[in-house]
Amino acid sequence: MSSLLVLNGSPRGSHSNSMCMMSPVIEGWKSSGAPEPEVLHLAQRGEFERAIEHFPAADTVLLGMPLYTDAMPALVKLYIEALAPYVESASQRDQKPTLGFLVQSGFEEALHSRPLEHYFEKLARRLGSPYAGTIVRGSGWSLPLMPENENRALVTHLRALGNQLARNRRFSEAELRVVAGTERFSPTAAAWLSLAFSSPAAIPNSHWDRALEKNNVWDRRYAAPYADALPT
Amino acid sequence: MRITILNGDPQADSAFCGYADGLTKRLASLGHTVEEIDLRNLDLKGCSGCFGCWVKTPGECVKRDDSARICRSAINSDLWVLASPITMGFTTALLKRAADQAIPLLHPYFVMDGGELHHRPRYARYPAIALLLGAGADADNEDIEITTEIWTSFARDFKSRLVCAAVAGRPIEEVADEFIACA
Repeated sequence: MSSLLVLNGSPRGSHSNSMCMMSPVIEGWKSSGAPEPEVLHLAQRGEFERAIEHFPAADTVLLGMPLYTDAMPALVKLYIEALAPYVESASQRDQKPTLGFLVQSGFEEALHSRPLEHYFEKLARRLGSPYAGTIVRGSGWSLPLMPENENRALVTHLRALGNQLARNRRFSEAELRVVAGTERFSPTAAAWLSLAFSSPAAIPNSHWDRALEKNNVWDRRYAAPYADALPT
Repeated sequence: MRITILNGDPQADSAFCGYADGLTKRLASLGHTVEEIDLRNLDLKGCSGCFGCWVKTPGECVKRDDSARICRSAINSDLWVLASPITMGFTTALLKRAADQAIPLLHPYFVMDGGELHHRPRYARYPAIALLLGAGADADNEDIEITTEIWTSFARDFKSRLVCAAVAGRPIEEVADEFIACA
């Protein structure tokens, strides 16, 4: 049976939205009868180093992360740089791990994560690895917040992707599209959302307001501390 | 014009750093105020996704490190140059660390912008953004394209536009003129 190495690239470590989203994928992997994967958190000292060591021997690697400023977090790029020796040795190794990725972002639309997906497709080629695909999902923050029944459909599809990874070493395009959800808002939806987000009661924004209030800094929410030197 | 150059090359004395220094000097000689920040010399603790800069100390990172210097310099410039060699197909982890810690420049609120969700601006104006890339033997045109695509998206999120992407090696005078013309 083939082995899976799960790498969590979230700087938050084990308590992260990325891990929340990877858990059903891991369950799906196991439901195929494949063995328990090794899970390593790159933010954890010691585990970062182990993730470099264990990379070449894994049959499949799943690397998940949040989208940070439209790309991978610096931590993940640091890890990828540490894989450079494996690019050079790729031609001599028979064993090359199949690579799958998961990117979850705060924005609802999948389009924000597509440039990074292009990068990962190329990264797999650079490492001489078969590419399983990239799971893209927006509104990653909502998964731990929503009641279980509202997440059920998403969890089912993420499990299916894990199962496909074990059986076919590839995510199906159809399943990836379902999980990605909204690629881009239709003009009607965009117009409606423009209105909705201009209201102070916009749902995701009221979430920020509550956090600001709790910290007694709501009145300072528009602070622009570095603007004093701006030219007039 | 005020120009901030973030140099994300982890190695001093590289050909890329030589080129970036040359560009800094050239831009200064043209009468511009240029600050080149060598990121490798800064104390950058990295973004850990705590959201403190959005909900605890609005606009400022809760970590007391040199990221404030980056934010202050970038937001007060007209042109923000992100400079880095391409390693493993993308700009360095060091440059990304600085970019991750630029998130206090944005506001947490979501807004619709051009039919897409983005963050609300925190400042009245944002600098134009340019890329200076170092492409060694292990970087091909596809790597440059993908890197440019990602930073184009970054610029959009930072209420700006990627106005120019140059690869180090071309005549410095030519690249300097191009940066000035498009900013």
